[in-house]
Amino acid sequence: MASNISPSAFDKEQIFGMAEKEMEYRVELFNKMTQTCFNKCVDNRYKESELNMGENSCIDRCVSKYWHVTNLIGQLLGSGKPAM
Amino acid sequence: MDKNIISDLDNFPEEDKQRMSTMADQLQIRDSLRMYNSLVEKCFKECVNTFYRKSMTKQEETCVLRCAQKYLRLSMQVGLRFSDLNQGSSTTDK
Repeated sequence: MASNISPSAFDKEQIFGMAEKEMEYRVELFNKMTQTCFNKCVDNRYKESELNMGENSCIDRCVSKYWHVTNLIGQLLGSGKPAM
Repeated sequence: MDKNIISDLDNFPEEDKQRMSTMADQLQIRDSLRMYNSLVEKCFKECVNTFYRKSMTKQEETCVLRCAQKYLRLSMQVGLRFSDLNQGSSTTDK
């Protein structure tokens, strides 16, 4: 698309659609990551409302690994190879 | 958001920027309500297990509040890490 030229109505709709889908995807990814890491990292006895040191470390690692898994599976699906 | 989309946005007239902003706002509202619902469900399941009375016990109430506060703190921390990852900065292993 050339700069300084207003995009056509069709292009605009496509761009808005893509942008909306991307926003929704990121929000969904964040939510799933948060819920997963909460379930895996937080001691469910709830002895206090602060996150303790172990929980904080776990969360950092959990996010990093979740991101890694997301990329791995994304590559697998994107590569077009059938699953083993 | 992709850089392509952002750069395209710069060429958009004001009404289209407004539309994008509205879309983001609506998504945020929907997401907040969804989070509220799932937090209630999560903390209720974790903390409320007996039904001898219809009123909450002090222990249950404390548990619910701690559960919710931990979740919100965790969400904030995940958000920070999520931003780092999106910007492509490498995270050192701990």
